[in-house]
Amino acid sequence: MPGLIEVKRRLKSVKSTKKITRAMQMISAAKMRKAQIAAVQSRTYSSLAWEIITNLAHKVDPKYHALLSQKNNTKKIAVILISTNRGQVGGFNTNLINSVKRFFLDQPKGPEEVHIAADLIVMGRKGREAMVRLGESVIADFPKSDKTIGISEILPISKLITEDYLAGKYSKVVLAYTHYVSTLSQKPLIKQLLPFKSEGDKADPDKHKDLPEHYKKNNFEYLFEPSPDKVLDYLVPRILDSQVYQAILESNASEHSARMIMMKNATDAASDLIEDLTLTYNQVRQANITKELAEITAGRIALE
Amino acid sequence: MAKLKFQIVSPERTVLHDDVDSLTVPTQEGQITILPNHVPLISTLQAGELIVKNAGKTEYLAVSGGFIEVRPGNEIIILADTAEHSDEIDLERAEQAKAQAAEDMKSVKAKNSPEYANFSSVFQKNLVRTRVGVRKNARHTPVRLNEKE
Repeated sequence: MPGLIEVKRRLKSVKSTKKITRAMQMISAAKMRKAQIAAVQSRTYSSLAWEIITNLAHKVDPKYHALLSQKNNTKKIAVILISTNRGQVGGFNTNLINSVKRFFLDQPKGPEEVHIAADLIVMGRKGREAMVRLGESVIADFPKSDKTIGISEILPISKLITEDYLAGKYSKVVLAYTHYVSTLSQKPLIKQLLPFKSEGDKADPDKHKDLPEHYKKNNFEYLFEPSPDKVLDYLVPRILDSQVYQAILESNASEHSARMIMMKNATDAASDLIEDLTLTYNQVRQANITKELAEITAGRIALE
Repeated sequence: MAKLKFQIVSPERTVLHDDVDSLTVPTQEGQITILPNHVPLISTLQAGELIVKNAGKTEYLAVSGGFIEVRPGNEIIILADTAEHSDEIDLERAEQAKAQAAEDMKSVKAKNSPEYANFSSVFQKNLVRTRVGVRKNARHTPVRLNEKE
């Protein structure tokens, strides 16, 4: 049986821990709401933008825009990894990093290569630390702010990947981030950014069935005004930006949701522990009283 | 007659998602009107007034750049940098912002600097907003507009 003071001390420490986790839960909940709204609202825009570019990618001659071309002279890939700065998010970063590792394993390799050549562009301290530990080459580290950011803040990232891709340094550029599904569920995702993968074959085949034959999927050409290269010059960088931006918003929403849930779990666990400890405390107290009473009674009987 | 399945979104929200009869869009090449059965088209927008006509009603929107995609099957998608309905525009603030941008433009000496381009696009945007904003007044309360002048 533990001593009375010991139990009391533990009870006090659990109570103050609970206060801290409750406060953190509330902070995360407030941040979560903002981040979720931001992520959900801009989702339509970025998914439509992505549809446009994937539609276009296999219809337009790559000669019109350098970013539409494939780079085959290298096997190297670039990964933009968006993680968090702080912990206390449960399996959030672990899941993300595991999916990146799995992605590396799935990549086609040369015969004598053991490890896929990849450069990482990281956002968030946790992701960087994990990648350095794994011995991957981290070429750029962008600070990640906790707040919802403006689109202008991601321009350096898109500039970096565009330039390196155009210079032929990478055959692929992928985004690794956590997709926000709901407060309770977030999914790590790897999304290929460059080259644009056409998803025309996978798209719903029934969608265009009531159209005249010459308009069916893949069977039409777009008209560009003023001219393909001018339109694409304007379109492609914007779409890239919006994709990176959306990934950051999704990551933010996921991070705050995950942290909110973790802190809620911690607070609940603390409540349970407090209940248990209070019970133990009362039992010990009761036992002590009973023991003392027995001693007093025994003393009286001895005197009589 | 077939309708256009029209959707305009800005990064912040979906501004309008409706079936409409016709659409007049300010592209960089000039104003174009899109009617049903248009050929697939991709074009870039400039700051200007977007006119949406549906069943005899006309709606005005102020847009400040972006792009338009006409897909087969009368599907039209506009990705706008910003977009507002005419009745959402605060005319007074738009006028102020326009005047401020005009001031800022004067203060920049180099006409080819990025700042100048920024101010000039803000000016353009607010010029359009004041124009589209007046539409609302002209439509609903023409008297008030006369009083102002």
